[in-house]
Amino acid sequence: MSATRRSLLAAPALIGLARQAAAQGAPVRGGTLIYLEQQTYTNLYPPAGGFYPNSGVLNQITDKLTYQNPRTLEIEPWIAESWTVNATATEYVFRLRPGVTFSDGTPVDAAAVAKNYETYGLGNRELRQPVSEVITNYDRSEVIDPLTVRFLFKAPSPGFLQGTSVIGGGLVSLRTLALPFDQLGDATKIIGSGPFVVARQVLGRELVLNARQDYNWGPAKHPHQGRALLDTIRIIVTGEDSVRIGGLLAGQAHVIRQVQAYDEERVRSRGFQIFAPSTRGVNNSIAFRPDNPMVADIRVRRALLHATNAAEVVATLFSANYPQATSVIASTAQGYVNLADRLTFDPGLSARLLDEAGWTMGANGVRAKDGQELALTAYESPPQPRNKDTLQLVAQQWARVGVKLNVLAGDLGSRTVDSLDPARTPVAPAMVGRADPDVIRSNYYPTTRNVLLQRGGVSQRVQSFVDPELNALLEAIAAETDPAKRLALTGEVQRYIIDKAYVIPLFEEPQVFAAAPRVRGFGFEAVGRPSFYGTWIAAR
Amino acid sequence: MTRQVAQKLGQALLVLLAAFTVAFVLLQALPGDAVLIKFLGSEMGLTAEQIAELRIAYGADAPVWEQYLHTLGNFLRGDFGYSIRSGVPVAQLLAENLPSTLWLALLALTAACLLALVLALLSQLEGFGWVRGLARSMPSLFVAVPVFWLGIMLIQVFSFQLGLVSVIAPEPWEELVLPVATLAVPISAPMAQVLIRNIDAVFGEPFVAVARAKGARHQWVLWRHVFRNALPATLTMAGVLFGELLGGAVVTETVFGLGGLGGMTQQAVANQDVAVLQAIVVLSAFAFVAISLLIDLLMPLLDPRLALRPAGAS
Repeated sequence: MSATRRSLLAAPALIGLARQAAAQGAPVRGGTLIYLEQQTYTNLYPPAGGFYPNSGVLNQITDKLTYQNPRTLEIEPWIAESWTVNATATEYVFRLRPGVTFSDGTPVDAAAVAKNYETYGLGNRELRQPVSEVITNYDRSEVIDPLTVRFLFKAPSPGFLQGTSVIGGGLVSLRTLALPFDQLGDATKIIGSGPFVVARQVLGRELVLNARQDYNWGPAKHPHQGRALLDTIRIIVTGEDSVRIGGLLAGQAHVIRQVQAYDEERVRSRGFQIFAPSTRGVNNSIAFRPDNPMVADIRVRRALLHATNAAEVVATLFSANYPQATSVIASTAQGYVNLADRLTFDPGLSARLLDEAGWTMGANGVRAKDGQELALTAYESPPQPRNKDTLQLVAQQWARVGVKLNVLAGDLGSRTVDSLDPARTPVAPAMVGRADPDVIRSNYYPTTRNVLLQRGGVSQRVQSFVDPELNALLEAIAAETDPAKRLALTGEVQRYIIDKAYVIPLFEEPQVFAAAPRVRGFGFEAVGRPSFYGTWIAAR
Repeated sequence: MTRQVAQKLGQALLVLLAAFTVAFVLLQALPGDAVLIKFLGSEMGLTAEQIAELRIAYGADAPVWEQYLHTLGNFLRGDFGYSIRSGVPVAQLLAENLPSTLWLALLALTAACLLALVLALLSQLEGFGWVRGLARSMPSLFVAVPVFWLGIMLIQVFSFQLGLVSVIAPEPWEELVLPVATLAVPISAPMAQVLIRNIDAVFGEPFVAVARAKGARHQWVLWRHVFRNALPATLTMAGVLFGELLGGAVVTETVFGLGGLGGMTQQAVANQDVAVLQAIVVLSAFAFVAISLLIDLLMPLLDPRLALRPAGAS
């Protein structure tokens, strides 16, 4: 069943690729591409670039030290021509490509790169610039010569090399770094060395990017070299789904981000292209907060895991572009292990586990113990696709084994505050994209995203829950310098998290884009951020 | 006269201060704050200490009264602070969003006035009973049409199907055509209703009967006597509606992807962007106060009975 499903899933993507390859003639230079975003960008300080609307801008205007090949996930040269890492991963030396400049004319040299990483690694309190999530254990940088820079770490930091390839590592001019964080939402102030530069913005509405004529330092192994093919990109915010899709189909736009699963067929049937790059990170899941006494019992968590029918969620609400999850992280993520046999849908087992845990079925169809009903609460997470529908469907599935799940919308303030309180939100939706094993650590480790709400994190409301065994495993990933061992540890963490039933993985989350038939060479970085560097518009 | 104007101005300032204070208190009472929401958001993944440090840097840990005085002082100096969500000064956000909303509101109000006027005239048409009936039932229909649905319908038909105007990257002239139409329809409804009802009422007044008895024709009575008497209430209505339009364009702006105050407010509310909300509340209060002041001063020109009497005459 699982194998058939997977090959079916792959089919549309393959057809899309084949069609694109056949239509690929000689690239055309010039033209304006209209790209519709669902939301406006916010703060463009590169470490805040994880937000998709931000990365859609940053990925066009900034370059990174290294390039993560989206197909092989290998780290390839970009602004750094070469690098060396010491055996303990505490010292990295990068040799920079000569002749690279920011769009304000200043050089991308060792001093500029060092200043960028000083800021991202340590933050700048005076300017309120926060540190980057992907840089851990940073100590300091040293300029060895104008084109050589060394980074030193207080403890092993094996994730750093990949960290230099992500959106958050975008290099910006010293002028940009001299501005307070509160001014970096103004795109005209973000000066990068990328293939496009900001020409004009209307806040909340439109951003116009022009190609940089002298750009000649794309990723070394990228199929396209030299300046970008397009002259101009107009990024226009169009919040309404039907207007985005209607505009694309009516020929008023070329590329759109965020196509709902139920709209995919309509777009495809008109001969338009659908792209659904994987975000390769932690799957779209429901996470438990075991500090809450109701889900502290592993039998209850296991029961809910087996009461959840992820296949039904995917079949009912999503499309073939949303593969059913088979582990904590996506099958395209590094270090993935297939745990499908432990994620079975088995309401019978679920009911037995709940009986064993002492939750007996009440007359109203809800289980109770000592007079307390087994009723849980979760807030929907609007950035995730159809999250409210997902949670409501899961609530129906849980209701069949006698567990109630209340799904709340709530304003962002209440959601933020309540999400820190395991007593109020015993379960929470979660996902994060990043193509490095570090993603699993940053998702579950107490001082970072702390999805399970352990003690020692941001939340003051956690009474006692802490899992030293899990944290030791996560620390080991962060510190392990041998790539093979690091991947093995990543597998161990996945098994551990599923064994403890800390999360219920649902599906592998893609980013879904649609493009007009004439759009060619539309690419993505490793976790599904759009890249227009090699994009061109074919003649009619 | 001067004293009354001064009195009205003083009242207006008090209303503004009250709006500022109430908004400040209410925004403080909300759970969480913008700094927490921004930095706890999944886009950054910061640690507890880093967030605590940022809160201090933003002054989010200072006592409330201190924050109040600080913010009030800044407002008086014209400094609205920064939008934590967008990372730009609030003044810049306003400067880029206000003009388009003002244009939209102004054009929509003008269109709505014309529409209301046409409906009111049709409702008095002699001879065509069915036209009169139709014109009289239009306001109820207009007010019942959801703006959201109307906007999407207009886009689908006139832009996507017929290709008459572009909504995605429109030329300046075509940019506001459909949004103005969308917004004018529901706004015209209450105005038309009030106008029609007032015209009917005025027609029943004795002085109209006198005019008719003198042999005046229906049209003449309508234009010379009735309209002038029926207009003031509609004008007040238009003033109130304009204030609402400024903020109420949210749906239109969202559907059409126009930047503007509406969309900005919606984003600010969704993200609890306190500095932006504070500025918007004060700005809206200012718009309401200014418009009612203007209408108060304008009214005597239309209706001499409302002329401000010299001080002490009452």
